[in-house]
Amino acid sequence: MIHLTGISRQYGRGAQATHALRSVSLEVPTGVLVKIVGTSGSGKTTLLNIIGGLDTDYAGTAVVAGRNLKDMGDRELSRFRNQTVGFVFQHFHLLEHLDALQNVALAAFFAEGDIRRAPERAEEVLVRVGLKDKLRRFPGQLSGGQKQRVAIARALFNRPRLILADEPTGNLDTRTGGQVIALFQSLNQEDGLTVVAVTHEEQLFRRADKSIRLEDGRVVEMNPT
Amino acid sequence: MKAAHLRRLIRQNLRRNRKNFVFSSIGIVAGISSFVFFVALGSGIKRVVSTEIFPLEANRIQVVPPAAQFDAWVPGRALDDEALGRLAKIPGVTAVYPRMKLSVPATMALIGSQFPPQDLARLAGLPGMTPAMVEGVKKLQVWMEIMADGIDPRLVKGDALFGDFADPPFGRPIPVLLSKRLVEIYNSSFAKVRALPPISEVLIPYVPSLPLTLNDSYIDRDMSGTRIPVRIKVVGTSHQALLGGVTMPLDTVRRINRQFGGEAAARVYDMAILEVPSSDKLSGVQQAIRGLGFDIDTSQKRMAESVGFAVTLVTLGFTLLSLAMVAVAAVNIAHTFFMIIYERKREIGLMRALGASRRDIRGLILGEAGLVGALGGLAGIALGAAACAVVNLLAVRFLPDFPFKPHQFFGYPAWLFVSGVVLSVAFCLAGAFSPAGRAARLDPASTLSGR
Repeated sequence: MIHLTGISRQYGRGAQATHALRSVSLEVPTGVLVKIVGTSGSGKTTLLNIIGGLDTDYAGTAVVAGRNLKDMGDRELSRFRNQTVGFVFQHFHLLEHLDALQNVALAAFFAEGDIRRAPERAEEVLVRVGLKDKLRRFPGQLSGGQKQRVAIARALFNRPRLILADEPTGNLDTRTGGQVIALFQSLNQEDGLTVVAVTHEEQLFRRADKSIRLEDGRVVEMNPT
Repeated sequence: MKAAHLRRLIRQNLRRNRKNFVFSSIGIVAGISSFVFFVALGSGIKRVVSTEIFPLEANRIQVVPPAAQFDAWVPGRALDDEALGRLAKIPGVTAVYPRMKLSVPATMALIGSQFPPQDLARLAGLPGMTPAMVEGVKKLQVWMEIMADGIDPRLVKGDALFGDFADPPFGRPIPVLLSKRLVEIYNSSFAKVRALPPISEVLIPYVPSLPLTLNDSYIDRDMSGTRIPVRIKVVGTSHQALLGGVTMPLDTVRRINRQFGGEAAARVYDMAILEVPSSDKLSGVQQAIRGLGFDIDTSQKRMAESVGFAVTLVTLGFTLLSLAMVAVAAVNIAHTFFMIIYERKREIGLMRALGASRRDIRGLILGEAGLVGALGGLAGIALGAAACAVVNLLAVRFLPDFPFKPHQFFGYPAWLFVSGVVLSVAFCLAGAFSPAGRAARLDPASTLSGR
C-alpha cells in the first residue's frame, strides 16, 4: 500500500532550515494497522501528510496505492485524497455550523457521485461508528469521543482504502481513547482498511501489525522490519 | 468538483456568512442603485429630447435647395415639381412630401371681446376650464404677425383629429395644424401666467375659427395689394407643423401664393421630405440627393444630437461616480473575503484534505463573490428603480410646469438592468480575485496542523 524511499522534508532554508524528515524509507502492506510513534517534533505528522498527499514539498519517492504522488498534479492529487485516503485529525476539524450528518456528508461535495445520496451514505457511516442517535447533533452538542467518531465517519464516507489518523486520541481521555482505538482496529480487521495512526502514547494501539518509531526525522525502530 | 456541488456549497457558505456579506455588499447596492438612477434619468431626458423637443425621424430626409445661391439661376436647382419627380426616382425613396412657405405676410388680431358669446359659453362648460380662464379669454387682445406654410396632408395623416386637413371650399375656414412644441411652450409658460386655458385635445374642437388677414403686416404698414380676410380653424397638433406659425394644407398655400405671386410662386417648394424605408439605405439616398444638387437640412438632427450629447456627458459623469462607488465597494468586498478566508483557513484546509483542488477552492470563493455581486446588483437595481419612482412622483407633483415637462422623467432600457447585474458581479469578482488566489494557495498541511 505505501512505499516510501528516501523521503526528506525540511522547513526553511540555509541556517534556519529545520529537518523534519531525513531519508525515511518504509513499506506498509495493504490491510495492516500501523502505528507511528515518536516524541513531539520527531516528524510523525509530516510523514502522515506526505503519505496523504497533503504535503508535496519533499525529496524522495512516495508511492501510495500504486501511485507515485510526485507524478500527480493538484487535481489528480485532490482526487487521490478524496477517493483513496481518509484523514482523522487530533482536533477533529468538524465545522461548528454543520450537524454530524452534514459534517460527514461534506466529503461528498468533492466526490463524483450524486450529492442527493450523500445523507443516506453519511447516516450509514455514522451508524457504523456507533452514532445512530446523534445524526442531527452539532459538534457543540457532542463529547470529545463522539466528535472523533464523527470525524472517523467523515473519513470513511468515500470508502477509502487507507485511513491516516494523526494523534486521534490526543484530545481524549484514556477510556474514550481506548474506544476510538477499538474502532480503528475494527475498521482494520472487519473492513480490511489499511490504518496508519500517529501517536505519542505508545501504550495505545498495542495490537498494531507494525510499529515505526521516529526520532529527529529518522526511523530508529521498525517492528517487524 | 461538479458544478451542482459547487453551487450547493456556495449557497451553504453564503447563508452562514450572511451578515458579513450583507454589510460588505451595502456599497455595491448603493453604487448600482445610483448607476441605475442616473442612467435612467439620462435615458428619460434623452427620450424627451428626441421624441418631444427635437423629434427625430430616422427614415426621413429633409431636402432643401442649395444654401449657396450664387448659381441659383442654373436650371434644375429649384425645388419644383420636376425636381420632386427626380428625387422620387432615387432608388430607395418610397415617398416625397413637399413643403411650401406662404409667400405673403399675414396678421391675426385676437380680441376676446369679439368672440361670439355662444362660443365663450361652450368654452366655459369644458372640463378643466375655470371662470378665471374664461375671463382671460374675454380680455384677450393679441395682434400677431403670422407665418405659415403648406404641407402635404399625407405627411401629417393622423394629426388632424378635429377636421379635414385639405384645401377647403371657398368661404370655409382654412384647417391649420399647430406645432406640438409651440403648444407645449404656450401651455407651460404663456397660458399659465395669463390665466388662459391650455390648448389640449379637449379644447381644440371648441376653439372658434380665428380671423387671419392675408397680404397684411404690422411691420410694413405700406404694403401694396388687397388685404384678404380669411378664417382659420385649428384641427390638431403635429410635430411636422411650423414651430413659429401655422401649417396649412399644401394646396391652400399653393392657391394663395398663386393668387398673390403668380404661377411661379405656386410651383417652387421650400423643402421636400423624402421617406426611405430602412436606415441602411439612408447614406446612398443622401449621396444621390447631393448628386442632384440639393442640400440636406440636418439642423434639427444636429440640435438633437448636441442636446443628446450634453445629456450623455452629464449622465456619464454621474455614471462614472456611481461606478467609482462600486469600485470602492469592491475593495470592501476584497477586505471581507480576506477576513473570511483567514477565519476559514482550517475549513479550507479540511476541504483540501477531503479532496478539494486549488481550482475548487478558487471557484468556491469566486462563486460566493459572484453570488454576492448578483444579489447586490439585483438589490441595487430594485433600490435604484424605487428611487426613480419616488423622485418621478415628487417631480411630477411638485415641480412647477415647464415646457416639455414629462410625466415620466426616467427611461428604463433593458440593457440597464442587465448591465447593473453584470457590473456588480464583475466588480465583486475583481474584489475577490486576490483573496480567492490566496485561499487556493493555502497549504493544507500547515492550516490543519495550526501552523
